[in-house]
Amino acid sequence: MGRYVPYLLFGLVGLVLLGIGLFSGRFVLYLTMRVMLLSIFALGYNLLLGRTGLLSFGHAAFFACGSYGMSLCFLHVTPNPLVGVFAGVCLAVLAALIIGFFCVRHTEIYFAMLTLAFGMMVFSLVWNLRSITGGDDGLVGIGRAPCLGFPIARDSQFYFMVLVFFALTVWVIHRIRSSAFGLVLAGIRENPQRASFAGVSVRLYRLAAFVISGAFAGLAGSLAAMLESNTNPFSAHWTHSAEPVLVSLIGGLQTFSGPIVGSVIFVVLREIIERFATNWMLWFGILLLVIIMGFRGGAMGRIEAFFARKATPRGEEGRP
Amino acid sequence: MSTPLLQVDHLSKAFGKVVTANNLSFEIHAGQITSIIGPNGAGKSTLINMLSGSVSVDEGRVFLKGKEITHLPTHRRVRLGLCRSFQVVNVFPALTVYENIQIPVLSQAGKAHHFFRSLSREVKAEERVMEELERVNLVKQAHTLAGKLSHGDQRLLEVAIALAVRPFLLFLDEPTAGMNPVERAEILENIRRLSAGGRTTFVIVEHDMDIVFSLSDRVMVLYRGEIICDGSPDHVKSDEKVRECYLGEEVV
Repeated sequence: MGRYVPYLLFGLVGLVLLGIGLFSGRFVLYLTMRVMLLSIFALGYNLLLGRTGLLSFGHAAFFACGSYGMSLCFLHVTPNPLVGVFAGVCLAVLAALIIGFFCVRHTEIYFAMLTLAFGMMVFSLVWNLRSITGGDDGLVGIGRAPCLGFPIARDSQFYFMVLVFFALTVWVIHRIRSSAFGLVLAGIRENPQRASFAGVSVRLYRLAAFVISGAFAGLAGSLAAMLESNTNPFSAHWTHSAEPVLVSLIGGLQTFSGPIVGSVIFVVLREIIERFATNWMLWFGILLLVIIMGFRGGAMGRIEAFFARKATPRGEEGRP
Repeated sequence: MSTPLLQVDHLSKAFGKVVTANNLSFEIHAGQITSIIGPNGAGKSTLINMLSGSVSVDEGRVFLKGKEITHLPTHRRVRLGLCRSFQVVNVFPALTVYENIQIPVLSQAGKAHHFFRSLSREVKAEERVMEELERVNLVKQAHTLAGKLSHGDQRLLEVAIALAVRPFLLFLDEPTAGMNPVERAEILENIRRLSAGGRTTFVIVEHDMDIVFSLSDRVMVLYRGEIICDGSPDHVKSDEKVRECYLGEEVV
């Protein structure tokens, strides 16, 4: 009985998201789409951070690859949104393969710094290649042509495209986490040396996790370009790389739904704080402090631990 | 005679001026339990590290079943059938005992890269994991976190992980350190049985001379990076040089 609760909850969330799409005003629609995009970004990212144990500060680069890949495809090749998304993801995967190839040779702080360095390189490329990327203006006028015959020009229509990709992401990430590959990634996080003596090529699996997370960053980026109908060069900036880190931390690194819950908290709280205070970063910093010092394991981590304790008295369950 | 399981050819390694392996050449034949003994700093650990791929060699070559493995990365050697356990506890602490065994089993079966197939559908792997757990008597603790096991059980699990890749050649680095007598007897029994089973050949680094002389078919004595004696336990026991350098009064 208890093991069906998560599926029920996800069904419920799905219904709520459908309801929002059908009955909400533009503002809530927009906000929900932002939450879903950040969730896609963070769900992929947490496969690398929470599961494989690698902290990257360069994933904004792949988000931007998605944005610019999608936009360039729209402007120069075809307005077809699916082709655009595919182009964006492909560009992100390519970038993740190249950057990851160099980064996974190192771990911990060296890995983090290398990803940061590569991220900054991508940002400066985006900033300086004016003829291609539009420099500080970004690329503008990204339209939304019909997708498989469905019009997506209005936000209330585009919402369902985002929802489909969000659901797809949740499903794929769930499959990966409950697969042999997902377990091996957890093993690499726990003890890379032991993993290699179990016959696993640690470097190759780290690269795979890196590329998968990069692909989802690219997916989020390409959808974001369509949502905002332009690309923002600062989406490649390293400060943007911190977002999935924070979101995963808030929601819970070792949980599946953590990045989603974290995204809701992040976007909604930011919206609320910005209404009342000018400096939302200050208040957000304070909140983060409370979560990190008081709620180790993040919001979902705490909730799961609470129910696990109720179910089994000792609460001794693995966290692959 | 057929090709030896492991052939080491003029292997040398120095860390700065400290020579830890000086022109070592030896062979290991299938089915023979070999012990490597020697005083601290004799180069036993370095030798195992070199053979298993953690430390690069300066000179010389290593062959596993006639195939050169001198410069292969660790995981490739493991896939070819060479594995090791460690002196210190080296498990996946935040995973359950079951998952600890699952990883090497999946990897050995070539299924570790299945990224879209639920683990619950890897039925064959499941059976093998239970087999391995039964062998070391850890079935009851299958769903305990490895980090929460007793020290002895963690050592047992460690050996079980190494065995789960079904190696042809397994180096055990002080396999009984920190175990109580019951666990010790159990692990030794396991080694004997598996060795008799014929698939896995064991090479053991051990300080406990009782274990070494009762278990081994062959004993190699390392001293300052050189093999000073190599032969049957009785031969080694009676060797003058070995007594001088290492065994001292203990055995006499």
